[in-house]
Amino acid sequence: MAGSLSGAEPAGGSTLPRPVPAFLRTALHLAGVLTRRILLLAVLLALVFAAVELLPGDAATATSERGESAADVDERRRLLGLDRPVSERFWDWMTGLPTGDLGTSAHGEPVADLLSRPFPNTLLLGGIALLLTAVVSVLLGCWAAARPGGAVDRSVSASASGILALPEFVVAVALVLVFALWMDWLPAVTLTDANGSPASWQMLVLPALALAIPQIGWNTRIVRAALADEAKAPHIETAVLDGLPRRRILTHHLLPGALPTITAGIATSTGMLLGGAVVVETIFNYPGIGSVLAGAVTDRDGPLIAGVVALTGAVLTGILLLADLVRAWASGGRT
Amino acid sequence: MTTPTKSAPPTARSGAPSRSGLVLRVSPALLLTALALAGPWLAPKSIETPVDAPYAEPGGGAPLGGDQLGRDILSRVLAGGRELIVTSLLVAVLVTAVAAVLGAVSALRPAVGRIVERAADVLMLLPAVLGILLVTLSWPDGGRLAIVTVSVVLGVPYAVRLVAGAAAPVARSGYVEAAAVGGERLWYLVVREVLPNLRATLLALFGLRFVAAVYLVATAGFLQVGPQPPDADWALMIRENSGGILLNPWAVLAPSIAIGLLAMSVNLAAAALVPTTGRKAVPAL
Repeated sequence: MAGSLSGAEPAGGSTLPRPVPAFLRTALHLAGVLTRRILLLAVLLALVFAAVELLPGDAATATSERGESAADVDERRRLLGLDRPVSERFWDWMTGLPTGDLGTSAHGEPVADLLSRPFPNTLLLGGIALLLTAVVSVLLGCWAAARPGGAVDRSVSASASGILALPEFVVAVALVLVFALWMDWLPAVTLTDANGSPASWQMLVLPALALAIPQIGWNTRIVRAALADEAKAPHIETAVLDGLPRRRILTHHLLPGALPTITAGIATSTGMLLGGAVVVETIFNYPGIGSVLAGAVTDRDGPLIAGVVALTGAVLTGILLLADLVRAWASGGRT
Repeated sequence: MTTPTKSAPPTARSGAPSRSGLVLRVSPALLLTALALAGPWLAPKSIETPVDAPYAEPGGGAPLGGDQLGRDILSRVLAGGRELIVTSLLVAVLVTAVAAVLGAVSALRPAVGRIVERAADVLMLLPAVLGILLVTLSWPDGGRLAIVTVSVVLGVPYAVRLVAGAAAPVARSGYVEAAAVGGERLWYLVVREVLPNLRATLLALFGLRFVAAVYLVATAGFLQVGPQPPDADWALMIRENSGGILLNPWAVLAPSIAIGLLAMSVNLAAAALVPTTGRKAVPAL
């Protein structure tokens, strides 16, 4: 893997004197990437605020009860601060976000308080699922790529294509039915301990699997395709002709070259994992943002979901930034 | 993917390979869709009135047993796919149409292409499921319109990338440049010169967007922001009956199998339609 980096190093010392040293160029590039990602996140957050504001219906009417007078609704609107100008509230919301203030839910509670316990649980579940996805899909992809066109390759590719389109809740139902109800190996619902976290690791197995399985299908295809692309490169042919062992070619030549594509694929999966977590948590009664959002659906609580989207967007920005860094590193700062 | 055709140039009219293999891969999806569309007429019992005890086991009048209110599961499964499929088809048609035009314009006008790229970068930070929740909760009376709108808005940026990628070589080809120099309007170039050459790509794109739409619309149903309780809807049935999964597993299993089969068969059809053009072996969902 070090081979990809070494290409950039001699360029600094041996060839023409450069006005900007390599490390500074890399730093500038990274600063640019960082700024761009943060700008994109800011645009998304503005869109989220606009969606909550501009669509018909606000938090005050959404929580109104039967027989409530118009004056009561107005009073609650005033309490929630919804009578202030949109521009003012937008400024408040956007400037509050970096300090961890996510606004006020339709019931008048701070969104940050409502999410402070469940969100780490969701990140734990999503993190396990992401790790599982990365490891299994790289292994499966390599296994399939080892004998192109063989029986393993075809069956892995076919089953990967089959499961990538399945909604997570269908996978979850199948898992519950088989492993919880028929086999009785794993719990079908999550119980929480005093801290509000899952009581035992076994309760994470089925939700993580339900989340990861469709994404494994998706990423196995990406890994397989990236390896196939990389195998066409001339230096791989040279390595094969030199008689290097298959395994060594795979780990030292094919995988490093395919790494940026694989990372980008897995980074894209993170969004699907976090979105799917909402659904899977509902099925397993897992104490994450999914259960909070299930309540938000009943209450029609727009501001609460805006807060969840803001947090998710921030996490995804971080993950995509990591993918950018991997690409910059793998290409030796050439991007 | 056993199609032996090696990277046909996108400009070639590789529209209908007309191989029996293609028919074999596309027909399950067509058959299932037709069955689901005709389902409400095939349902042997009423989908609203109870015919049996709640969570009754299969037998006698109800071949798959009863749901949480004792309604006939077989009839509800037969009736429960139409709205899902019609909504998904609508989303797929709209996304494909909008992406086709925008993609062709992006290939002809790079400035538009850059705007579309940035929009896709922004929307990548918004998981589609959360996007649907956000819009349906902020717009409670939107109903199916809200779901269709947000699915289209979230789907278009990715689809445009695919079209723009396929349209780029067409836009650079001699006859389009000749027509552009000849003073043809942008609209004419898009509709008459570029899009007719992308039929294979657009057909594949439609299949992929249908897969994505089935996923999204079903998930919205499961989260109860789509069809509302008295309706028969596969995703909603899974949610409603999950409490009785031990008493009558079919109440959850039958609609799960229906959605699973639909997703897999549509995906199989979409994969068969994708023109194998080298690098983009894995199109974005």
